[in-house]
Amino acid sequence: MMTDPTVPEYKIRIENFSIRYSDGVESLRGISLDLYACQINVLFGPAGGGKSTLLRALNRLNDLVDVEEQSGRVLLDGVDISAAGVDVVALRRRVGMVFARPVPLPMTIRQNLFYGPQLAGMRAASSLERLLEQSLRQAALWDEVKDRLDEPAVALSGGQQQRLCLARTLMLEPEVILLDEPTSGLDPISTAKVESSLQELKGRYTIAVIPHSVQQAARVADWAAFFLQGELIEHGPGTALFTNPQDERTEDYVTGRFG
Amino acid sequence: MIRLSRQATQRIAFWLISLIAGLVIASILLIVGLVIVQGSGAIGWEFATGFPREGMKEGGILPAIVGTLLLTIGTAIFSVPIGVGAAVYLAEYSEDNALTRTIRIAIINLAGIPSVVYGLFGLGLFVLFLKFGTSILAGSLTLGIMTLPVIISTSEQALRAVPHSFRVVSVSLGATHWQTIRRIVLPQALPGVLTGVILGLERAAGETAPILFTVAAFFLPRLPQSVFDQTMALPYHLFVISTQVPGMPIRIQYGTALVLLAFVLSMNLIATLIRRHYRERRQW
Ligand SMILES: Nc1ncnc2c1ncn2[C@@H]1O[C@H](COP(=O)(O)OP(=O)(O)OP(=O)(O)O)[C@@H](O)[C@H]1O
Ligand SMILES: [Mg+2]
Repeated sequence: MMTDPTVPEYKIRIENFSIRYSDGVESLRGISLDLYACQINVLFGPAGGGKSTLLRALNRLNDLVDVEEQSGRVLLDGVDISAAGVDVVALRRRVGMVFARPVPLPMTIRQNLFYGPQLAGMRAASSLERLLEQSLRQAALWDEVKDRLDEPAVALSGGQQQRLCLARTLMLEPEVILLDEPTSGLDPISTAKVESSLQELKGRYTIAVIPHSVQQAARVADWAAFFLQGELIEHGPGTALFTNPQDERTEDYVTGRFG
Repeated sequence: MIRLSRQATQRIAFWLISLIAGLVIASILLIVGLVIVQGSGAIGWEFATGFPREGMKEGGILPAIVGTLLLTIGTAIFSVPIGVGAAVYLAEYSEDNALTRTIRIAIINLAGIPSVVYGLFGLGLFVLFLKFGTSILAGSLTLGIMTLPVIISTSEQALRAVPHSFRVVSVSLGATHWQTIRRIVLPQALPGVLTGVILGLERAAGETAPILFTVAAFFLPRLPQSVFDQTMALPYHLFVISTQVPGMPIRIQYGTALVLLAFVLSMNLIATLIRRHYRERRQW
């Protein structure tokens, strides 16, 4: 597999990874999966399959949750980030995250965007402003907010808030962007804007996204991984996986027979 | 038994509740009104800036006003950092275990202890054992301990009311737990915290029993010079001139009560204004 020329370079390698929450449920069982650089990596499957759990393991947000037991490794550029003693703050700047429900922090649009880089020590107004414009443009939000940067972020519409959250993550200048159902509450037009942003962003970032529907999965996936009840059932290039799934359970799901 | 229609029950309940609410408002108006009517005659420049004269039957109550101000500030110096710090610990850092459950039970019980017991405790610990003497220091510490439970529990509630999603987002943007508390959680919880602080201090300002043995003086001819001095204070002064001095003019008694009431109510007003200010600026 390593020698297969059609397989791109991986950015994140998950090795035999399992997680059990304190309620006793084993939410992920022995997951081994590569996430590729400069690709949109889609994690999809029915509810409760462990997709969000896996995503949170990639930037250690699971540290905030009641995880009972965890085993296996998550390598970012070959370094295990699941171990104790990892600098999680530095990790979270390299691996940014956008959540299903947009949560603007209770401050202005500009303050929301400056929050991450200022904590990281960026002070110069000129670099902050340059980064702000670039991030807002990448998130397809610049034209809509450029004249109202000092308004409260909650004044934006839901779709604008979600793109603001994407821009806020881009402000960290991360290497990996995780998105957990980023368009689940959005109208079709906002959804299309976010999806096209992702297409442009993938040239420079590793993107891992949990889509909110099979249709969206098929639309955006360069690579797709199908999760069912804590197990990885199938992983492959998007076109192949959605048109010609190898596993019966994947086929049932993508053709809408269950889930 | 007569069975009432639902509408009738509803009407009766509504009238009962209105009646009770009316009683509450009426008794407040009655108390405040009485104090104002009887006391406003005493209020004047000399009353606010002068010392008591002629066996306290004449003159002003400046030392008591200054004393209550000092005691309130002293109480705040001790109870606000410790109280808010404890609330941050309980809300943000502590896990749910036997220790924190014990702390919580202790706080609830502290809130229920009669204030005279705090007075005795302060006498034993601060005045006698630590040898602070009857002093502003001992009184402030005693009032501070009495105030802690209110400050801790209201602040903890305010901190917990900040949406969890803010914390997750902040941490995901590379903030440490402490940075998240400093920059997101505390500012959001500030109105609630301040309300708790002011409610606590208000109670401290009006209490007599805790200062009785620890700081309060019957009469002092001069203002306190250091934290180891005794001081007069409004609630104790009111107690003294109402019960210990025969032939006290009623005007002076109610005038003193009016000043104390104004002091406490204006703290209340400040708390309300702070809450309103932040509610209007709230961004979520
Ligand atoms: N914080 C938690 N504490 C306990 N159990 C959890 C927690 N989060 C998730 N789980 C459990 O882990 C399993 C996987 O959940 P997860 O949220 O990762 O699934 P998902 O694939 O993202 O589902 P969905 O499509 O509904 O978002 C579920 O059984 C869920 O109940
Ligand atoms: Mg999920």
